[in-house]
Amino acid sequence: MSVHVASLGMGRYGKRPEGLIDLATEAANLALEGVGRRPIDLLVVGSMMALGKHGPEALLPRLASRLGLESAQGLRLDSASGTGGMTFHAAALALESGRYQRALVVAAEKMTDRTTAVVTRALAASLDASEAAAGGTMPALASLVTQRYLQRYRLPDTICDEATVHARANAVANPTAHFQKAVTAAEVAASRPVALPLRLLHCSAISDGATALILERGTGPATVLGLGQALDSIRIVDRDDLTTFAASRLAAQRAYEDAHLAPSDIQVAEVHDAFSPFLFVHMEDLGLCEPGTGPRALAAGEIRRDGRLPVNPSGGVIGRGHPVAASGLAEIAEVALQLRGEAGARAIARTPTIGLAHAMSGIAAHNFVTILGRAAP
Amino acid sequence: MTDADELALARCEACHARFLPTDGPCPRCGSREVRTYLSPPLGVVLAATEVTTPAEGWKPPHRLALIEMPQSVRLLAIVDGPVPAPGDVVAVRRDGEVYRARTEPGLAGGRGEGESPGPGDARPAPFEPPR
Repeated sequence: MSVHVASLGMGRYGKRPEGLIDLATEAANLALEGVGRRPIDLLVVGSMMALGKHGPEALLPRLASRLGLESAQGLRLDSASGTGGMTFHAAALALESGRYQRALVVAAEKMTDRTTAVVTRALAASLDASEAAAGGTMPALASLVTQRYLQRYRLPDTICDEATVHARANAVANPTAHFQKAVTAAEVAASRPVALPLRLLHCSAISDGATALILERGTGPATVLGLGQALDSIRIVDRDDLTTFAASRLAAQRAYEDAHLAPSDIQVAEVHDAFSPFLFVHMEDLGLCEPGTGPRALAAGEIRRDGRLPVNPSGGVIGRGHPVAASGLAEIAEVALQLRGEAGARAIARTPTIGLAHAMSGIAAHNFVTILGRAAP
Repeated sequence: MTDADELALARCEACHARFLPTDGPCPRCGSREVRTYLSPPLGVVLAATEVTTPAEGWKPPHRLALIEMPQSVRLLAIVDGPVPAPGDVVAVRRDGEVYRARTEPGLAGGRGEGESPGPGDARPAPFEPPR
């Protein structure tokens, strides 16, 4: 049974005065208006921290009540920063089962009302307990991954700067992105160290935001063609090779097999660049370029909006901002927008017919690959 | 070196993988036939960083290193002292629930003062067990 993205809604990402429920409601209403408020029989909600003013929120029933969706059934999911990808997969699988007609999928996070130290500790919950106990943080472990990648392919630190420049340049054309201003490589290289070689502008921002999608039975320009996900050891010390993420490779392999497609069929991709050099690792793991050649593809202009294979036309996680649970769904929403020809100023040069979105949990402990496109007749 | 300086690591009897001790099964094959063994406490730094924005409860500067112990066992350790460079040999000890590493001056693979490559710009030396 085919399932397609019928509508999507996104509020502005960034530092927002509203709380979690308001952000989720805003995105959900935009998506609901896109289908003329036709009935919803499944509500799938994702948030990692689900932080309200007084602590964790009972997000799903509160959102259902705000939206008048008490007659629907609901699921609330969490896989850290992979949550957005997982909400979409769960909704698509539920619709494919034939049990539901139309699902509203919402992923939201409220983060900016806490200090950086508190958020950093909360995000370290997506790491293995032994690695968090040593004071491991997401940027610290991402720094180790980045160093191994640079060492293996004998690349200079400056490729990280160029990845940020790419993300921020694309975000300028995305009115919902946290960052609306481009940066130069020199500005990135002069930003303050977080965990060298990673500096502030190599790390995704703490942001508020929500994305919503309507998935319904049937076909359209953004039909679900393939789904794949995979887990990996949460302990990075158990991974033989840190220059590649096995969970991305396996999730991609499963999604390509599900879709009967190959990496060469992909015309636009959104990858989970929580740290700017991860752009390259992800492109390589998804088969979009050869191992170690991501930086060359960027330098050659291949992944720009007018390039051979545009990657992260939305600005990616670096440009869009990173309300953790929402990012994975924003990636899928961007691919759907591009496929539907609704991407406005950030539309890629040729309207694509097949696109891929990738979401990552923690340091690639649970990754999701979603392939959307026009269904074969 | 006394026995007390040796580090407890784990070995899977089914697939012969070596790894850090955990309460669970072998992370590679899932077998529960896991035994601990003692290893010399010297390892080689694969990558290291200084966390200038640590999590709540930690004070900067907080330094961490990814270290390869004999037989490809890897661990994440808190570094006491300056950030080591890839290829440096460090002494590792267990401290409660964490590992701590300290640069061992004068050991093969170690570097002298003033000739340190920054993290990320050197390829790690292939591991050779210290003799």
